[in-house]
Amino acid sequence: MNISDFLKGSPDGFDVQGPKVICSFDVFGVTINLTETVAISWLIILAVTLLLLWLTSGMKTKNISKRQVAAEWIVQTLYDLVESSMGKHWRKFAPYIGALFTFSILGSLVSMIGLRSVTADFNAPLAWALVTFVFIHGTNIRTHGFLGYLKGYVEPVFVMMPINVISEVSTPVSMSLRHFGNIVSGMVITSMVYFALSAVTKGIGIAFLTIGIPAVLSLYFDLFGGFMQAFVFIMLTMAYISNADGRAETAA
Amino acid sequence: MNLDFFTIDTGTILFTLINTLLIFLAFRFILFKRVDAILEKRQKEVDSVYDAADEALADANSKKEQYTAAMTNAKEEAAGIVARAEKTAQREGDAIVAQAKQEAAAAREKASLETAREKAQARAELQGEISGLAMDLAQKIMEKEISQKDHARLIDEFLEEMDSEGDSK
Repeated sequence: MNISDFLKGSPDGFDVQGPKVICSFDVFGVTINLTETVAISWLIILAVTLLLLWLTSGMKTKNISKRQVAAEWIVQTLYDLVESSMGKHWRKFAPYIGALFTFSILGSLVSMIGLRSVTADFNAPLAWALVTFVFIHGTNIRTHGFLGYLKGYVEPVFVMMPINVISEVSTPVSMSLRHFGNIVSGMVITSMVYFALSAVTKGIGIAFLTIGIPAVLSLYFDLFGGFMQAFVFIMLTMAYISNADGRAETAA
Repeated sequence: MNLDFFTIDTGTILFTLINTLLIFLAFRFILFKRVDAILEKRQKEVDSVYDAADEALADANSKKEQYTAAMTNAKEEAAGIVARAEKTAQREGDAIVAQAKQEAAAAREKASLETAREKAQARAELQGEISGLAMDLAQKIMEKEISQKDHARLIDEFLEEMDSEGDSK
């Protein structure tokens, strides 16, 4: 292959595909696919569970080990983060925020060990955004009552109702698309650059470009991008939920 | 077979929800439960240490008060003992001096009585001797004319006269 081939596009080309379907079965007429995303998620769950078991094993009150310091730091940081964003009465929310952040960041970082990112499948961030959506509306109903919640849609005037509904629905959509878009664009750009570099390398005949540059790009898109998106996702989740909760203002 | 690049798949959403729940449970019941338990335990230990410290401080303070009170008592007692001892010593000294004076007076009296008695005895002896001497003298002077008896009587009269004169003096 030479440069002209690259400009025309590769004969085998490169294709950005969705996750592989490992198996699928029908439940009441609905096709349930067990995909690569889910299988990798299980690996993540296993790794996280083992890590947490290791971190919290043999804890003492005095002369604590380094891994206990780490465990206590994680818990304390999550409590502080949740309390400063949502107020003290949302303290019990900290484990979910920790779980979401960990799942999201590890779901993005698995690409560094050659697996397909969990977050590069739209369904994963969509599921988390739906959880956030349920929390937002549940909190809203609990705070204002069901009628007060419904009344919120016709404020300030009745004609605003369609806009209010769209705005509510757009929250999970924007959250999940932002997360998915950032990770998947990183994935696409990385594979495009890799494809381009290998085409150039084939043209020149020396394989030096494919070694350094993709690593740097991967560092930015996977590590930095993955961390940023996980952080943005949990911060938005906390912000939306505490916004729906009237007590948050007084607690802040 | 792959899913489309951008697709909404019910199965993946459901599995992801379950997986998220599983990770949440791992966080909640492994990390948070254990760390919270250990933090609470540590808090209790710290509280108990503080309680023990407070107790020790209160104990020390009460002991200090007791000690101070004991010291004050001891000082008062010591002062009392000294005062009593001084008084006793004074009294005993006075008694000794008084007794000594009394004894001295008694001794003086006794001495003067002795002197008087000895004087009287000496005088009686002298009387006897003088009357003997006078009789011897008179015998030598007046030989036969005057009987020995008469002379003795005369001389006794004379001596008694002299004696009464001496006593009246």
